Amino acid sequence: MFLKVQLPWNVIIPAENLDAKGLMLQRSIVVRLLEDFASKKATKDLGYYLAVTTLENIGEGKVRQHTGDVLFPVVFSGITFKIFRGEILEGVVHKVLKHGVFMRCGPIEHIYLSYMKMPDYRYVPGENPVFLNDKMSKIEKDAVVRFIVIGTKWLEAEREFQALVSLEGDYLGPVS
Amino acid sequence: MSGEEEEMLLSSNGDEFLKAKCLMNCEVALILEHKYEQLQQMSDDPMNQVSQVFEKSLQYVKRFSRYKNPDAVRQVREILSRYQLAEFELCVLGNLCPETVEEAIAMVPSIKTKGRAHDDEAIEKMLNDLSLIKKFE
Repeated sequence: MFLKVQLPWNVIIPAENLDAKGLMLQRSIVVRLLEDFASKKATKDLGYYLAVTTLENIGEGKVRQHTGDVLFPVVFSGITFKIFRGEILEGVVHKVLKHGVFMRCGPIEHIYLSYMKMPDYRYVPGENPVFLNDKMSKIEKDAVVRFIVIGTKWLEAEREFQALVSLEGDYLGPVS
Repeated sequence: MSGEEEEMLLSSNGDEFLKAKCLMNCEVALILEHKYEQLQQMSDDPMNQVSQVFEKSLQYVKRFSRYKNPDAVRQVREILSRYQLAEFELCVLGNLCPETVEEAIAMVPSIKTKGRAHDDEAIEKMLNDLSLIKKFE
């Protein structure tokens, strides 16, 4: 789910860039904010950081004693992406293995659907392996599948989410 | 998902979920596409300027947007807003565009629980309104 968030942030402007006044300074602050934001990637609470939409407020700068940099507290609105247990989403299959398939959804690469959570589907090996059910419904590479999220995991080191999903439920499965 | 699981979803993510403002894929697509265009005007190699997260998300929302036209997107938000839905519920419906009342309830069981039971007629009308927007997009 994409979230619209409002966040406080501290933007640090190095002493060299402080000669600028007014609009130039504001521009430096915005550029810095966008850089910091882009490099953040994701947090456990808000998910993946996507884009800054509006700068709501720039507070008064505070000089940092030892470096001479100035810290500007800002508040901005932005978009993030986070995945929730119980949520129903659509994703794209990118790998088919005999015990399950891996899908991607938004910025998340590692969404796992186990064969145990694909009721009535069985693995069919081959050059292009697929999972097939009695009604000839296919789950294969590049297929779009609608699933329900049964578990999520935040990996601190990689700063990413992984999810475990299931097709147990009505109206879930491959989408044509 | 059973009513019980839905309860868990809403209570464990709780306030965060209920108070969070959510955006539908089609709304995000308009925002990210606009940002990307701005970058294209400013640089020769816009793809270099955006993070992997941005790129993958843009690809995803473009592919999974049911409505493309900005007016249509606005109308979808407006129509769904008339039905006393939580932000999250509104977005799931706007993203998955269920075709029947049954499917809508399967996608967002909470519209039938928690003492806010929307009757089938109201849900049917909502789905009809949404499909009209699609027809005239």
